[in-house]
Amino acid sequence: MAFLNTSNFNFSNNLELLLILAKRDISVRFKQTALGMIWAIIRPITTMLVFLFAYKNVTNISNISGYPIQIVIYSGILFWNLFANSFQSVSNSILLSSNLITKVYFPRMIILFSAIAVSIVDFFFGFLVYLILAFYFKIDISHNLFFLPVAVLITLFISIGLGAIFASFSVRKRDFLQIIPIIVQYGFFVTPIVYTSLEFYSKPWFKMYTLINPLVGLVEFFRFSLISGYNILSLSEILISIFSSILIFVIGLFVFHFKKDTFVDYL
Amino acid sequence: MNSIVSVSSISKKYQLPLSNKEVSKSLVNRIFSKREFEEYWAVKDVSFTLNKGDKLGIIGNNGAGKSTLLKILSKITKPTTGKVDIRGKVASLLEVGTGFHPELSGRDNIYLNGAILGMSKKQITQQFDEIVEFAGDQIIKFLDTPVKRYSSGMYVRLGFAISAHLDPDILIVDEVLAVGDADFQKKSLGKMKEVASKEKTILFVSHNLTAVANLCNKTLHLEKGYVKQFGETGEVLNNYLSAMQNNLLEQSFNHIENAPGNDLVRLKYAKLTPVLIGNQLIADVRNSLKIDIEFWNLLDDQNLNISLHIFASTGECIFNVGTQPKLLNKGVVQATLTIPGYFLNDGNYLVSFMIVKDKSIVLFNFEEVFNFEIADFREDTTWYGKWPGYVRPQFDFPIQQVSQKI
Repeated sequence: MAFLNTSNFNFSNNLELLLILAKRDISVRFKQTALGMIWAIIRPITTMLVFLFAYKNVTNISNISGYPIQIVIYSGILFWNLFANSFQSVSNSILLSSNLITKVYFPRMIILFSAIAVSIVDFFFGFLVYLILAFYFKIDISHNLFFLPVAVLITLFISIGLGAIFASFSVRKRDFLQIIPIIVQYGFFVTPIVYTSLEFYSKPWFKMYTLINPLVGLVEFFRFSLISGYNILSLSEILISIFSSILIFVIGLFVFHFKKDTFVDYL
Repeated sequence: MNSIVSVSSISKKYQLPLSNKEVSKSLVNRIFSKREFEEYWAVKDVSFTLNKGDKLGIIGNNGAGKSTLLKILSKITKPTTGKVDIRGKVASLLEVGTGFHPELSGRDNIYLNGAILGMSKKQITQQFDEIVEFAGDQIIKFLDTPVKRYSSGMYVRLGFAISAHLDPDILIVDEVLAVGDADFQKKSLGKMKEVASKEKTILFVSHNLTAVANLCNKTLHLEKGYVKQFGETGEVLNNYLSAMQNNLLEQSFNHIENAPGNDLVRLKYAKLTPVLIGNQLIADVRNSLKIDIEFWNLLDDQNLNISLHIFASTGECIFNVGTQPKLLNKGVVQATLTIPGYFLNDGNYLVSFMIVKDKSIVLFNFEEVFNFEIADFREDTTWYGKWPGYVRPQFDFPIQQVSQKI
């Protein structure tokens, strides 16, 4: 008899499953909500308003490194939410899909990749708000905007990479789930999200800092593509961050690949 | 050469932490020392091959490794050692409606569940109407309602309907037949038979031996992870059932000193014998059961009787029957009870009896003397769900047409 393919899945079926899981997450997110998609922009706007309040009333700052404070904060938050939301949902994805993993076989990596869907949709709506803000503050949108998809992609790479590592380890030890909110909460402050890296660019440890925290280069790359004339980091500094992000992505997928077969025994 | 499923000595080991030792360890010890585990082999050295079109029934008690084996075969988990070689498209149904999302509509869930089970969008779209029709009229009205509003019956019917349209080469099924109402079970079994008649290979785990006997040509009997027997269904089932019957069905004590009882009465002999028909190996609902009891009476001139209780495995008493009281002297006393066929339903039962003096004083209660099982038996039926109730009487229940007018 003909030797049939032992795998149930071919590439197009895998892609279809990924898309349908992504669609599930997106439609479930806004089910039974009155405001629906508007929630995707309420969070970043609220965060921005809180920092605006603090900056204006506590320190009386109205611009950061020469850019309108709203633009700096909002672009930072836009980046941070994309990173943090996708990182968190990728990290939790395996445990949340335990009912699927223990009952049916399909390539487990699909779960990781489908987990970022909601963050991408949120990012898209957040970006529309940015366009309004930029128009209001008369910030030019230059052809650098073409780099935005690249910046988004690299951000998703590092989120998936880190998320895959946490997802793999949290299946056996739930302790890892406790680390995730710490990273998301404090990472926000040690990364130039509500300020820019110009504030301490001249510090002797700056090089080390960008090496340890690849998100520094990424957020500045984000701002570079969003804000015309924004040019704080050099190309090489940004490239280092991009390179480390891709490295983390590859390492994460490797870790996941070697751990995935044991998941079902611990779920 | 023709084998479509080839399993060569697969084993699956789990590590169970030794919990009581763990507690005494300090936190530091717990983090830095290697925890001690007890090894547990859920499946051990299982081998078999199936040819195209074979229908395999997998039977065994709880914890025999049936589910673990299915999980290995459906690639959900990897065996610790051994190799599985499966040629063809596999669909495994370990539960109905895997991945259904309660917030999504029936329509969305058909696509979601189908994709999870390995169908392409095109396949689902092509068979969509058929799936909905199979699931029943009720579903059509609720197709755009979130499935969390479905009744559990509708939920299960929709889940099974999707599974029934998978069209794989090899189908792995775990007890999904035990779902839905009688009507839907009939439909599902019909679908299974239709699938079976097509050149499909099926692996089917079930506690329902009647369904296994009807659907499967080969049977694998697992016991504590090992293969007890693999072969033709009839042969394996007969051996399995006769082994099951080998429970506590006879007790005999030669010496009064070590016999159960007290200074008043002691048990000498007790036996439960099913009256089998033809070449039957095990008792089923048709058979009458004979219970013989002999006891030593150590008292003279007493008015004694035996009171016997039959309990269901869940603990309820099914009935209590007693002998007439009789004036008896020191020596051996004997009694026989016959429970007619078509009285007890299939299931597990326990027998206890007590010796009573003057209809009121219990001299001794012999508890759980027998633990026996009655198998199911049905003819001319397409429904294999559990027959409800503890009794299975065949009362005269005539039905007739009295008029042709409406």
